[in-house]
Amino acid sequence: MTDKKSIGKIIFIISVILISEFVISLFIGQYPLEIRNLLSGDRQSWRVFMTLRLPRTCMAVMGGFGLGAAGMVYQTVFRNPLASPDIIGVASGASAGAAFAILFLPASAFFVTLSAFAGSVIAVVTALVLASAASGNDKTSMVLSGIAVHALAQTALMALKITADPEKQLASIEYWIMGSLNAITIKKLPSVAVVLSVSLVAVFILYRQVLLLSADEEEAALLGVSVGKMRAAVLLLATLMVSSVISVTGLISFVGLLAPHSARLITRDNRMPTFVCSGIIGACILTAADMFARGVFSGELPLSIFTSLLGAPFLLYLLMRKDGKNG
Amino acid sequence: MEKMDNEKFFYAENISGGYGKNKVIDDISFSLNKNSLTAVIGANGCGKTTLLKFIANLLKHEGSCYLKGERLEGLSGRRISQMISYIPQKSGISISLPVREIVLMGFNPVLKMLERPNKKHFAAAQNALETVGIGELYDRDFLTLSEGQKQLVFLARTLVEDSSLLLLDEPDSALDFKNRYHILSILKDMVEKGDRAGLLCLHDPALALEFCTQLILIKGGKCIDVIDKNKDSLEKMNEAFKNIYDRISLSKCTDSKGKEHIAVLWEGKA
Repeated sequence: MTDKKSIGKIIFIISVILISEFVISLFIGQYPLEIRNLLSGDRQSWRVFMTLRLPRTCMAVMGGFGLGAAGMVYQTVFRNPLASPDIIGVASGASAGAAFAILFLPASAFFVTLSAFAGSVIAVVTALVLASAASGNDKTSMVLSGIAVHALAQTALMALKITADPEKQLASIEYWIMGSLNAITIKKLPSVAVVLSVSLVAVFILYRQVLLLSADEEEAALLGVSVGKMRAAVLLLATLMVSSVISVTGLISFVGLLAPHSARLITRDNRMPTFVCSGIIGACILTAADMFARGVFSGELPLSIFTSLLGAPFLLYLLMRKDGKNG
Repeated sequence: MEKMDNEKFFYAENISGGYGKNKVIDDISFSLNKNSLTAVIGANGCGKTTLLKFIANLLKHEGSCYLKGERLEGLSGRRISQMISYIPQKSGISISLPVREIVLMGFNPVLKMLERPNKKHFAAAQNALETVGIGELYDRDFLTLSEGQKQLVFLARTLVEDSSLLLLDEPDSALDFKNRYHILSILKDMVEKGDRAGLLCLHDPALALEFCTQLILIKGGKCIDVIDKNKDSLEKMNEAFKNIYDRISLSKCTDSKGKEHIAVLWEGKA
């Protein structure tokens, strides 16, 4: 258990890491950008900075924060360290939605985003409705209906892939599933920022109830939580966070799973500051991953490769450190 | 019918119900006195836990329960959470949280959605932990505690909840010999000092006879007997227990300080 002072220190340190990543990230990419040129008012440099680098880096920070924070909510509410957005079909719903748009809607990034967002929200709402129809507020029925919806969305995705034109459409679908911040423009940021901050604030307000949901159902109920409703509300909020991000970026694996674990291993706690840490760590991972995705080769690489590649060793390091201390 | 039994602190009338068509509890009625502990005794699967869930209104059932004159069925979940505390067999909390946070959860029934625990609440939490004798655990990680300490934390949480009816589902099941007696004596103290009554499921008849004034014996979802420890004769208790445990007998004995206890003797297989 970490006291207030050291939690403050931890948040300060990871924030400094995030800010340095943010600055470095602004200057990494195919077009060599230098502060000198920016200061001298070079128009080409400013254009690259404003239309490419800044939106992209902002999206990485916001998206990472959203995924990390949402991951913490999922793991706490399901009381399962392996719970991730996909346990109730968020990611597969989004993929099916994106694939649908790529095949049947006018070719525009806007429709893909909208359809992916709709797909994931529909998947989760379906899972929640099925679960409540099954029996009041049982967590197991929640997980099972989530798995069912996930399977259905996967099937839909497969069907869509089969009908897709392998040269163009199938490639687009696959590329979307791998996730990238390549296509982020400044126009896409506000809607993500709004959905993300509204749901974040709501989760902040409900956070005491989120922690209570980690107790047994009967225990929570007699501590004054209306378990079924609260669980649905909190899950829906976490889903909005994830959907708003991945509908723009495509699937980003591992951040939502990894950030909360890392935060917990550092703070050894689950209260609000750890929730904030989880968000910041998510932002760190995604920003770093995106730097690698566009910095390693001359071309663009899928994000998810690097979120896993960076995240897995980090998690292992924290685990080993923990074992060392306890043993 | 209503208000007829107004003097009773808590009473349950004709409680029946179960899961689907399967009837688990069949027409059970009983009452609880203020400042006393009552044990529900019976074999595994006889419906003890279900009975507790019915009383706490966590499951649909027939019949009614009255606590301090108020009918529990039909009250909101929040109102019930203010009147009843529940202590589970084993904690469901499986994430790292400081002990004080677990105790503070006890204020949730009275806090508004946007309200946060203030200094008074924190002080009360510390106080409650000291009352049950574990003040030094205030900042510890709940997950690192022993089962006995965890149960004490729950008792502290129950103290800050300050509810009238305490329901405990086999609070002794994960505890060693010493902790069982320790926790039940603290519980007994809590119930005797406040405006409350306690109902607990227990497996161990000796423990029930030591701490509870009333014992409700359940078999196959039916109440087969109610023992009043202060009034009933040893013979009557013996007869009642034989219906559940076959060959056991009770016997009075005195400890080194001269206090009388009832011992439970197992007489081997029939």
